[in-house]
Amino acid sequence: MISFLSSYQSLADQILIYSVLAMSQCLVMRAGLFSLAPTAFAGIGAYTMAVLTTAHGVNPVLAIVCGVMLATLVAAAMALATSRLRGVFQAVATLALVQVMVTVGLGWESVTRGALGINGIPKVATTGWLLLVVALATWLLWTIGRYSIGRAFDLIREDETVAVSLGISVMRYHRFAMILSGLLGGLAGALYAANSHAIQPSEFGFSMIVAGLTMAVLGGHKSVWGALLGAAILISLPELFRVFAEYRSVFQGVLLMLVIIFLPNGIVDSLLELAHERKVRRALPSGDGGNIDTKARAT
Amino acid sequence: MTMAFASVLELRGVSRKFGGVPAVDGVNLSARAGTITGLIGPNGAGKTTVVNMVAGLLRLTEGQVLLDGTDVSRAEAAELAHAGVARTFQNIRLVPGATVLDNILAGFHRHEAAGFWPNVLGLRSARAEASAFRAEAERLLERFRMTQFAQHLAGNLSYGHQRRIEMMRALALRPKLLLLDEPVAGMNDVEAASLGEIFKEIAADNVAVLLIEHNIRLVSSICSYLYVLSSGRLISEGQPDAVLRDKTVIEAYLGA
Amino acid sequence: MLLQQLLNGVVVGSVYAIFALGFTLLFGVNNILNMAHGSVFMWGAFAGLAAVTYFGPSFPLAVVVGMLAGGLLSVLLDIVAFRPLRRRKGADMSALLSSLGANLVLLSLAQNLSNTKVMRYPFGIFPIVNFQVFGLRIQLLQLVIPLICIVMVAALVFLLYRTGLGRRIRSVAFSESTSRLLGINSEWVNAQVFFMSGALAGLAGVLIGIAFNSVHYHMGEPFLLKAFVVIILGGLGSIPGALVAGVVIGTIETLTISYVSSAAADGITFAVLFLIILIRPTGLFGKASTVMRVQRQ
Repeated sequence: MISFLSSYQSLADQILIYSVLAMSQCLVMRAGLFSLAPTAFAGIGAYTMAVLTTAHGVNPVLAIVCGVMLATLVAAAMALATSRLRGVFQAVATLALVQVMVTVGLGWESVTRGALGINGIPKVATTGWLLLVVALATWLLWTIGRYSIGRAFDLIREDETVAVSLGISVMRYHRFAMILSGLLGGLAGALYAANSHAIQPSEFGFSMIVAGLTMAVLGGHKSVWGALLGAAILISLPELFRVFAEYRSVFQGVLLMLVIIFLPNGIVDSLLELAHERKVRRALPSGDGGNIDTKARAT
Repeated sequence: MTMAFASVLELRGVSRKFGGVPAVDGVNLSARAGTITGLIGPNGAGKTTVVNMVAGLLRLTEGQVLLDGTDVSRAEAAELAHAGVARTFQNIRLVPGATVLDNILAGFHRHEAAGFWPNVLGLRSARAEASAFRAEAERLLERFRMTQFAQHLAGNLSYGHQRRIEMMRALALRPKLLLLDEPVAGMNDVEAASLGEIFKEIAADNVAVLLIEHNIRLVSSICSYLYVLSSGRLISEGQPDAVLRDKTVIEAYLGA
Repeated sequence: MLLQQLLNGVVVGSVYAIFALGFTLLFGVNNILNMAHGSVFMWGAFAGLAAVTYFGPSFPLAVVVGMLAGGLLSVLLDIVAFRPLRRRKGADMSALLSSLGANLVLLSLAQNLSNTKVMRYPFGIFPIVNFQVFGLRIQLLQLVIPLICIVMVAALVFLLYRTGLGRRIRSVAFSESTSRLLGINSEWVNAQVFFMSGALAGLAGVLIGIAFNSVHYHMGEPFLLKAFVVIILGGLGSIPGALVAGVVIGTIETLTISYVSSAAADGITFAVLFLIILIRPTGLFGKASTVMRVQRQ
């Protein structure tokens, strides 16, 4: 599963880097976009950065920016291509993108060095810089979700028919979510490359998809802190279970299932909802405005 | 048939067939601004099908839908919303995990002018717009006597309250045509009457209201004109008193 | 030479078809993508292997045990990972995520239990009989596999369209709530569908384990990915689609591997997937999809 706990990376760095990936995933989930593409974007960001620095001597920071830009461009292409799709088809199309990227990584040996991967990537993404980047990314996610865009996402996810009948262009919002997820995913990948000295194509495949989804589900996709908490839990878990090291993946799988079944909104969102309800209930005057109805839950 | 002055909504010979079977057959209907027009009929008569055709969710097999004289028979739902058509649904469709206020604010989407990037970056124009919408939402909450529920999660409120939230969301759009699909279903007479008063206020604001309902008492008290649909066809139309005494209408309801 | 590769393609494609059949069955009835299907396939292969290791090499035994194990595992999966989510809103996404978790569990357990070793079916598990026809060298196994595939498809079609169970399954596929109103025990129907799906996966696992002489904890993943291409090409939920598309994909893949390269084969397979999704997402025989955007119907 996550085999990146090499001596080159500290736990904190890992959590920060993965939280950006989780943010990318949370974003698309919030918009009701069934996309598994963040992993593909991470692969693009990572490899672009790695190739530019190791094979062409490009300045590492510039290389990171290039990685992010390329990932964003690919995301834009995906956004256009998949804007008429929904649900299952989005999932499969984005899964296909991930696989295509892995195949390119393995096959385009002249550039990517194939299955052996790329070594000797300068480590410029140190903890201080990572903190800054994560703070910026968190702010971006927060400000986007704050007003109408966040509300539109929530409505599209909850009930597309209603969204459309209020004049919301689902296509436009899905495209935006996809492109932004490309930016964040590419950033996560480029930072990963800039922190871990070496990368391989197999790291940006199925297992990263599962990791990204697990973090997003664990934390919750509405609050901006969900991604961070999800990443923190997922990365720290193997450390806590050192004794059962071999069964790490089993625990991760079980955790994912438990969270989906019992806490589908994720930990942070569920806690926030609870806190919100308590606060509101305390402020409520007795009586409810004169109407006595049978209580019912919205479907 | 139609009145001398122009209607906001006009249906001309509207039909919808599902594989040869007509669910709606040759309906002619109009709704004028400032009035509440009722569309009633036994279950399965095709009323919701009519609403869905007007609202852009179903294709017409025949006929035209005109909005202020413009043919919108093929317009998609989002376009219609931007043209000022708002609707409510038979089932409650809110975002249960969002606050009442946020649910209502979603309805202002049509009026958002601040632009994408100002919203993303939180610039002043976006914030000013957000405050303006919030103020208007709060006025709506007052009108519907739900001010104290602004921050409640919509999913936790009672059925009656949820219906009102849906109404407020539809009004946030500032529609010129409001399609209400069984808005007082499941409510007692007192509540239905109080919502009825609000419908009259809405209509008085120069909105054309098309009301689909089963509650005959409500319909007869607030509608200025009625259409009766049975098995997809209009079997009667006119002033409520006359229509409700029409033998064919009574038979349709009893026979259904 | 070309004919030989075509034959190989048909053989591989038949197994893809069997595997995809199980996958598409679940989608057709429950609208879920079972991401753990590949692990069921792998466990079926191991179960068959364990059986012949204990009881001696016997092809029918391996097949039966593989199918049984796959079926039961699949039912267990339903109970643990899918059933709790069925009545929920947004069940599709949740089911997919839950099955991803289950997949991880099954995968790692297999990894640990097998010590990541590549195991093999005993030599002679299937009689090695070769034929020479028109200059082609055909093994008996290469004839038997497509035959099994056809039998399975026929059996499934017969079951679905000529038996009471089939009617109940189609009813649940159409609408679970309506079926329950009609007195159909939808949970029992679901369990049987999951069993059949898993049995098909287990069968495919045993066949591949024998045909390629290797059973490995990671053997399921490439199959699952290919299954996606097959069911999208064939049409989600379509049985003839899974058959036709399975063979088509198997053939394209085999030809690409022998004439270009194996890396290219993967790339081409997924490029095909892309094209289909963009041009005709419902595939060759697609079922009317519920996952289209909101527009005038």
